[in-house]
Amino acid sequence: MRRGVTRRQVMAGAAAVAASAALGPQLGCAPLARRRRAAVAAEVREVATACEVCPNKCAVLAVVENGRVTKLNPNPASPKSRGMLCARGNAAIQALYDPDRVKGPLIRAGARGEGKWREVSWDEALDFTAQRLQEIREKYGPEGVMFSSTEGFQEEFFKNFALAFGSPNLLRHPTLCLASVNLAYSMTFGTVPSFDLLNARYVIMSGANRFESIITPDTMDLIDGTMNRKAKLVYLDPRFTVTAAKADEWYPIRPGTDLAFILAMLHVIIREQRYDKEFVTTRCLGFEELAAHVESCTPQWAEGETEIPARDITRIAREFADVAPRAVYYAGRRSSWYVNDFQMRRGQAILNAIVGSWDREGGVVPNSRIPLGELLVLPWDDPTAPRVDEIDSRFPLAARGDGAFLQARDNVLSGTPYPVKGWMVYKQDPMNALPDRGKTRRMLEAMDFVAVIDTQMSDTAWFADVVLPESMYLERTDPLHMLPGIWPVVVLRQQVVTPVHDTRPNLEIIQGLAKRLGLGDYFDYTIEEWIAEQAAELPVENPLEYLKKHGVFALEGAPFYGKTLAPGYRFLTRSGKVELVSARLAEAGHDPLPVYHPPTQPPQGAFRMVLGRKATHTHAATTNNPWLIEQTPTNDLWIHPEPAGRLGIASGDLVELASEVGHVRLPARVTPEIRPDCVFMLHGFGKISPWLRRAHGNGACDADVLVTAWDRVSGNAAFHETFVTVRKVVEEASHA
Amino acid sequence: MRGTMKAAAAVVALTFASGFALAQGSANKGRFHFKKSCKSCHVKGAEGGEITPLSKTQEQWKRYFAKGVHNKGTQKLTDVLPAEQLQDVQKFLVDHAADSPQPETCG
Repeated sequence: MRRGVTRRQVMAGAAAVAASAALGPQLGCAPLARRRRAAVAAEVREVATACEVCPNKCAVLAVVENGRVTKLNPNPASPKSRGMLCARGNAAIQALYDPDRVKGPLIRAGARGEGKWREVSWDEALDFTAQRLQEIREKYGPEGVMFSSTEGFQEEFFKNFALAFGSPNLLRHPTLCLASVNLAYSMTFGTVPSFDLLNARYVIMSGANRFESIITPDTMDLIDGTMNRKAKLVYLDPRFTVTAAKADEWYPIRPGTDLAFILAMLHVIIREQRYDKEFVTTRCLGFEELAAHVESCTPQWAEGETEIPARDITRIAREFADVAPRAVYYAGRRSSWYVNDFQMRRGQAILNAIVGSWDREGGVVPNSRIPLGELLVLPWDDPTAPRVDEIDSRFPLAARGDGAFLQARDNVLSGTPYPVKGWMVYKQDPMNALPDRGKTRRMLEAMDFVAVIDTQMSDTAWFADVVLPESMYLERTDPLHMLPGIWPVVVLRQQVVTPVHDTRPNLEIIQGLAKRLGLGDYFDYTIEEWIAEQAAELPVENPLEYLKKHGVFALEGAPFYGKTLAPGYRFLTRSGKVELVSARLAEAGHDPLPVYHPPTQPPQGAFRMVLGRKATHTHAATTNNPWLIEQTPTNDLWIHPEPAGRLGIASGDLVELASEVGHVRLPARVTPEIRPDCVFMLHGFGKISPWLRRAHGNGACDADVLVTAWDRVSGNAAFHETFVTVRKVVEEASHA
Repeated sequence: MRGTMKAAAAVVALTFASGFALAQGSANKGRFHFKKSCKSCHVKGAEGGEITPLSKTQEQWKRYFAKGVHNKGTQKLTDVLPAEQLQDVQKFLVDHAADSPQPETCG
């Protein structure tokens, strides 16, 4: 704990407040909360809402006492959230009452990044922002403003504002996270499915550290599956993670060679005719080409690439095929690893397909959905300019609406194909989310105007011209959201308490700007009108009242499998079949079947830097949270004892990590739990913004050393392509 | 809202005259017109039966609009919607057809 209050102190304070209501806040599970609710029903108000700390949207019951949120509990009514609320979900209460929040609109008063701000009214902040946006629009056209955002229930209003303003330059988080896996499954099955971990009997994971990196229902299902029902988990990762510790088998695979492992599995399964012949014959396109393609990909060959013994690859392939369709090669969430990432994810999808683990219990399952109504709003004119990231020519198969962030950054810096001089950011911190923070900072400084909508003074906000503080999720009502899945649900995030500070929901910020820019008619509605239209078609009596009471709506009955296995079903691909071979990929100049390219190896004496997350700080936004920083106070550098000994490094020594774009310093953790050719550090630390007092200067920032690289097909950032050198910082260590 | 409607109509008329928008159409406006006009009959259980962009492939939608008839051939499409709105609806339906290259995203 570096500064501020500890969880214990907060709990003590909260307990004192609650004493007047004869009620102390408790950490605990849903049954405890229910007992407590029954005991003090008269004094306590409980509001059903939905968490916003990560993209999983878990259902929450917020306990409110005397107008103050005192506890966040899991909402057992949601089948999606499995009756749990993770550490970050619990700690959201600290984000609400964090003294480090931005408490009102701010306009920069000094040099960019100097930290001098002027507190202003909302009218002044919106007038200023609209005026600057209009100036850029008049000088450079609407495409001269770039808009970037991360998912959230109110992100839709931000995206609509960008398009109504006339800019095609919208950049979203998938291009930094899972665009490659989304595209790979879309190109193969025509959709991005879920993985039925609750019912799977055999799970293979490449680096998706699901026991540790993020806690979601998938994690809970995996725990249930592997711990209670003894499903088998095979895990490949250069690091010995918590998931590796819980797995039946762990292989410290040579980084970037996972596709060789997958192709060898395909080789064994096809050679031994262990694939699902009926599914392949009736549903798939290109099996013969696939069989010829993997004929030379023997386990012996793959052993040379992956360092996984050939006999194990053969055995795993046989086990996987024999257990199918209750066998899945799990995709994971963040898939931004290597420049060949899309093809590796295609390999996983094809493997799942040929063993018939598709749309069956325990396999890979296309998502079910619950239709929502829609408030039809006046349509705006489409932006006329091409996108600044040139996605149509560079990544023609990628999701245009998400863009290619790193290509966009390079083009903005070079002024290609046209100048972009304004940047609006919603709920995103590109200074931490993008590799090469120095380059991001140069882009920020090249802008004529930067506006940030956020709940806290992020590193990006610190360099902005105006900061427009959004109300935290417990302070606002958002649009309904349908979470597709094996168990689809609709969740309502409704306002729990009045805003603590002078903040506004994003919709009101957008409406304020739109009105000033002559775009008000496109946003001429209230959040209540929006939600009423969404809820109108739900198959339940008084749907909106139902949602306000329960927070979540789910269809009754068991999950339904097999709708895409009905005779005559047309998969949403070009051919209407599961495309093992893709003509569309060939036309775009890519390999129509996944081709393995050996990864570039680090130069002599250098290491590959691999990234990962811890569930307390999966995203960079939580490293200023008092409870979470208490659990995971800082980051350090994992390095294997062999190279550490060669470099004279012991645990706790200060080391300098350097790449071609930057260097950072942090303590070393000498551990055999990582391969000798890799080093590792946690994401989200080393913040610049002094207004994030617990995170500022705490640890090292991975973005300072990560180089710019992207997947060839999707444009998804490739975060595991950075080579670094490590040295012990002798002078500082001796003065410490 | 009325003012923006007028402005939007003017832009449509201008681009229609130039021929560019006529060739391209606007998927965004097409989506609006499809939901506003077509979905009144083409939802599950309604008279026209459920129709979504996924109901046809891109080529099938193109052929449908080239043929230009509606309601089992009893009606011209241009009697259902103005030509410029049809252009937009076609763009929307083709762009989102069953075999369209529309990768899913998240969030």
